[in-house]
Amino acid sequence: MDLGLKGKKAVVTGATKGIGRKIVEALADEGVDIAICSRTAEEVEETLAVLRAKGVNAVGEAVNVRDGEAYKAWIAKAGEQLGGIDILIPNVSGGAGMDSEKNWQRNFEVDVMGSVRAVETAVPFLKKSGEGSVVFIVSTNAIETFAAPMAYNALKASLITYSKQLGQFHGKRRIRFNALSPGPIFVEGGAWDMIKTSQPDFYNATIAAHPFGRMGSAEEVAKAVAFLASPAASWVNGTHLIVDGGYTKGVHF
Amino acid sequence: MPIKRVKPGDFTRTPVEKAPDPQLGHAIIAKERYTSPDFMKLEWERMWKRSWLMGCREDDIPEPGDYVCTEIGREAILIVRQADMSIRAFYNVCQHRGNRLVPPGIGKLKSFKCAYHHWEYGLDGDFVRIPDKETFPQGTPCQGLPEVACDSWGSFVWYNLNKQAEPLAEFLGVIPEHLDPYHFDRMAMTRDWTIEWDCNWKASVDAFNESYHVQGIHPQLLYYLDDLDIQIDCYGRHSRYLVPFATTSPRVKETSDIPPLIRLIMKQAGMDPADFDGKTREVRLAVQKWKRENGAAQGYDYSDLNDDQLTDDYHYLIFPNITLNVHADDLMLFRQRPHPTDPNNMFYDLQNFRLLKQGEEKPERPEHRFYRHGEKSLGQVLDQDAYNLPGVQLGMQSEGFPGLWLGDQELRIRHFHKVIDDYVYGPDQAETP
Repeated sequence: MDLGLKGKKAVVTGATKGIGRKIVEALADEGVDIAICSRTAEEVEETLAVLRAKGVNAVGEAVNVRDGEAYKAWIAKAGEQLGGIDILIPNVSGGAGMDSEKNWQRNFEVDVMGSVRAVETAVPFLKKSGEGSVVFIVSTNAIETFAAPMAYNALKASLITYSKQLGQFHGKRRIRFNALSPGPIFVEGGAWDMIKTSQPDFYNATIAAHPFGRMGSAEEVAKAVAFLASPAASWVNGTHLIVDGGYTKGVHF
Repeated sequence: MPIKRVKPGDFTRTPVEKAPDPQLGHAIIAKERYTSPDFMKLEWERMWKRSWLMGCREDDIPEPGDYVCTEIGREAILIVRQADMSIRAFYNVCQHRGNRLVPPGIGKLKSFKCAYHHWEYGLDGDFVRIPDKETFPQGTPCQGLPEVACDSWGSFVWYNLNKQAEPLAEFLGVIPEHLDPYHFDRMAMTRDWTIEWDCNWKASVDAFNESYHVQGIHPQLLYYLDDLDIQIDCYGRHSRYLVPFATTSPRVKETSDIPPLIRLIMKQAGMDPADFDGKTREVRLAVQKWKRENGAAQGYDYSDLNDDQLTDDYHYLIFPNITLNVHADDLMLFRQRPHPTDPNNMFYDLQNFRLLKQGEEKPERPEHRFYRHGEKSLGQVLDQDAYNLPGVQLGMQSEGFPGLWLGDQELRIRHFHKVIDDYVYGPDQAETP
């Protein structure tokens, strides 16, 4: 099956590490031109070199998503540099934490407003695409109780509602909106890598709770994201796809 | 990326230059020193009886008549605040029939009266009263309680069983210059526990004298400190290493999220991790800068400490048995004492101190607690150390184990045993065991 991604142009935030990194690599493998951002210029350059080696146009720079104006300016600039935007994947996150009230502000600014601002800035480009697609990276923490009551979980959940409503609102502009929730994903240097070393009992219990007896990989998430983002998913709009190897127990009718 | 350190020319009172590594070879450290009653006796006669030993804190005995009775090996020593506020130390033994005058611990008395026949000694150790004195035709012993050398440094009281001992300051060498900037006298004790551990006292000293074991028994600390970028310095009989805290080990990948233990360091400094946009390996310098800028307003005077001291562990061994984890805001002290008779047993004294805010009233001293090995949690990290040691002690007694095979990361252990050898066999006379 041809996903129809070749020649498309994608903006992916927070794409130098983890799931975001594998998303841009998967898209580049399908011939998608890519714009990325992250907090660190060196990491952006390193990622761009890997993407360009795959034969696609890749641009990007260091941006602090919490700086709303700079972030929106970068999204618009990325659209200009790529010559359009067909795919938007707001992936960046403020991360988990229960330090203070500021965790709520942080996740609001990064996870929620990082998505809202990206959508609002990218819609003028996406509606010119004719096959526009937005995929919000959420988390199974949004749909099932996990670990602790954190801002991360509750604010990630808001993106599912936002995505559904955008899918209705922008359908006439031929832009699809979907949310995708990865379960526990093992990434080197990621949270589970740290937990594997520092809390091996919790790590092993989580592994054991997976039907397949392992965690997912970032590549497995990236493939599902690539499908949702692609014209091959042309009739998939306003849905929420859980990519967790069957880890969560809730039934979604 | 190598860790950034204070370098010569930057502000520091504690010397930071790397001391030249002593050339101590690579020989096996014979295991018998951990298990042999004969070596234990030599160690007692030639090392314990000739070393300055930590007795108590000066503020354990603030007023005349306050005393601490501390035990070392088979001896019990009375450390007593005098009427003139000076501090003197005596053997805790009645000169009549050898009874111990008081049990170990802290107390307050006007005089020390033996419970057996009521021979009574003043705070200065002189006789106060001997019942039926006239029934001793030979008279009374010419002295009261035999005195022990005693002096103070760093808010602690030290004693030495050797009357001809060198002065405390000479024994301590570089230590006061290194540690006075922390102002231990501004710290208050928060925990005073003794745990009877099933290992030789040197196995405990060794356990804290290298960072190599972090990747082994403390894997969670790889997301808390840098166990590879460590400066080891050996000075005469003492040693230290400088361990960067509030950062991750090069053994693990830097995480996008700041690890929980590092968040804790930030919070203790008054920073909010949720408001920090830098990377995990940028936290250490950010905490240093924050504490430098905000310490005074929080009531903490860090003006004698260099930047690294605001985050890092300056870890000292004051020979023979005092391990100090020294930080800007706290001190964790281990005093490792031998069992009186059994080389396979020891007393692990665990004391914590915290820096008081300027003007803060000193809280009440915590009561001393005594536990058996494993009876009570010491906190995750020390539990991991404690759990391991009985196995080490048992292994030392195996026919299949000749002795310690030490690497470069364990130089302080090799140095420690060289200093013991110097005491036991004389300098440069080291031999086995």
